[in-house]
Amino acid sequence: MNRILLADDDVELCGMLKQYLEVEGFQVGMAHDGEATLNQAQTGDYDLIVLDVMMPLLNGFDVLRELRKDSLLPVLMLTARGEDVDSIVGLELGADDYLPKPCNPRVLAARIRAILRREQKQTQHGEETAPPETLTLGDLEIQTGSRTVTLNGEPVAMTSTEYSVLKVLLREAGHVVSKAELSERALGRELTRYDRSIDMHLSSLRKKLGSLANGEERIKTVRGVGYQYTHRV
Amino acid sequence: MNRLFWKIFLSFWISLVLFAGISLLAASLFLEHMRGQDEMESPRDRHISYIEEAQFIAENDGIDGLKSWLRKLDHREAIPFLLLDEHGKDLLERPVSPHLTERLNRKQRSSRHMEGGRSPRHRDLIQLPKGGEYRLVPDFQAVTLNRVLRRPRVIAIPVIVAAIVSGLVCFFLAGYLTRPIRRLSRATHQFAAGDLDLRIASTMGGRRDEIADLARDFDHMAERLQALIGAQKQLLSDVSHELRSPLARLQVALGLARQREQHQANVELDRIEREADRLNELIGQLLSLARLESGTQLSHSGPVDLAALLAEIAESTDFEARAANRQVRIIDSAPATIDANETLLRSALENVIRNGAKYTDENTSVEISLQHDPEHTGWLLIQVRDHGPGVPNDMLTKLFEPFVRVGDARDRKSGGYGLGLAIAERAICLHGGEISASNEPDGGLTVSIRLPLDQTK
Repeated sequence: MNRILLADDDVELCGMLKQYLEVEGFQVGMAHDGEATLNQAQTGDYDLIVLDVMMPLLNGFDVLRELRKDSLLPVLMLTARGEDVDSIVGLELGADDYLPKPCNPRVLAARIRAILRREQKQTQHGEETAPPETLTLGDLEIQTGSRTVTLNGEPVAMTSTEYSVLKVLLREAGHVVSKAELSERALGRELTRYDRSIDMHLSSLRKKLGSLANGEERIKTVRGVGYQYTHRV
Repeated sequence: MNRLFWKIFLSFWISLVLFAGISLLAASLFLEHMRGQDEMESPRDRHISYIEEAQFIAENDGIDGLKSWLRKLDHREAIPFLLLDEHGKDLLERPVSPHLTERLNRKQRSSRHMEGGRSPRHRDLIQLPKGGEYRLVPDFQAVTLNRVLRRPRVIAIPVIVAAIVSGLVCFFLAGYLTRPIRRLSRATHQFAAGDLDLRIASTMGGRRDEIADLARDFDHMAERLQALIGAQKQLLSDVSHELRSPLARLQVALGLARQREQHQANVELDRIEREADRLNELIGQLLSLARLESGTQLSHSGPVDLAALLAEIAESTDFEARAANRQVRIIDSAPATIDANETLLRSALENVIRNGAKYTDENTSVEISLQHDPEHTGWLLIQVRDHGPGVPNDMLTKLFEPFVRVGDARDRKSGGYGLGLAIAERAICLHGGEISASNEPDGGLTVSIRLPLDQTK
């Protein structure tokens, strides 16, 4: 059973969400301020955190920043709708997805499942389905067995979402992948209205990987179509 | 007491007094210097010494020497000295006035009467060694202002003094006055661009005049505005939080109800969910409208590729519209990059296009074009055209007001234009652009957005 940590200062809301998610088959813990969240997250008891931005003591961004120093624990951020700046900051800090709040609990459960599915598929990849393989392109190498990414031999830390997005782009290197396709293949869900999470993950990936050795952009944005990993045949 | 008033008044006044005083002083010093040098105290003494000089030159250099000496003298002296031969003609052939001739004749006659007496007037005779004699005669009546002013020493000294004194005073005065005003105007621009922390009174040094007062007033105003804007932002975020918390609980409660009810009250729950979503959307729109009206968001701006932005919005709205058998297409696009706040511009364009997709008839498409405005150079024109019923002509300008209703049944059903177009209008205005709507003759509404290429306007 998957264990979820709900971090939100609204105690009532947390209680109701816990009830809802338990019926959906999750085991749920709660934290109502930033420090408690951080402490609980670091126990290793949880598979995923649902993290609200507005919290006392430490806000959601601070918690995420602190957490990402030594953990790739999946994080789903809840942000106030319309506060685009918040979601950009959240994703660049390494959140796996974000949902504007207030949100439909059904959507929340679906997003949680999508992240967990992605996470599990990756950790179990080697054992169950396809044999582990190594994708290499220029200075970049991905080992699907150990889920590691190395750039010029140096390992690059990545959240499971960033890893998934990069893997899809790398498999399709030289071809344009639409946002809808990226969303389905990498995030495991349909692209929705006002959905900018793919763009944010891409911006985070670009920041981590930099441009190609010859100065060319590593991942290109193709106007109104999608993204493309630069590859010369 | 108006201190700047006194600064300007005193500096002009003192500089004029200084100018007058220094030029008088310089002139008298110059004259004294000349007197000291030549021991000339009056025109008569000068006359006598010139005669001696002329006699000396006549004996040594002859007539040519005399001519050039006379030319130099004429240049220097305010009083014209004429050197007349026995026929009464000037050596330099300057005109001799009849008064002078008459006076000379009178003198000659009177000297003849005083037979034998060596009249002092005989001393003005200059004799050339080769024969011939001249008289050096001052023509006092020919001393005109014009002639005085034309002598370089007479005119140059005061002019130079005036230029230096007034130049120095004005230079420092102008700098002193305009430097802090320039700083103030820069500060105003920066403040308007969103730098609300800016304060300038401390940069005014030890000034205690109107400009320093103005700087302090600016700081007071900045303080007050910052407090007001801060309070408004705080209010907005409080409202956002306070209204949304119950909404968030409502939505979870709804989810719990669905889990329990097992499809028994689905219609009602769907209704509650729809209304909750609508409420949520309205709160979001109200907040963005309020943020736009406070107008401080433009500070986060950078180059935006409009064609790419439109293509992206068209793609995502098309994706949604297809679910309702409608399309969104770009029919014309030109490369264009402007300096803008991408988030604002995106929401403006998205609202307009989404609105078109909402009202266009089934199986038709919303057509978007981006071009350089053929009627106004330097402007971009974005047009979004739907194939819906359009709106009554008298409503065209009201379309961009918050919560306007066009007033037919279809509108009530779909919830009206709401705030989308009002948000678009504010966002476009913040970028110095304009937005308007018009009905197409063959049906449908066109929303035209004009944006200046150069954002400095």
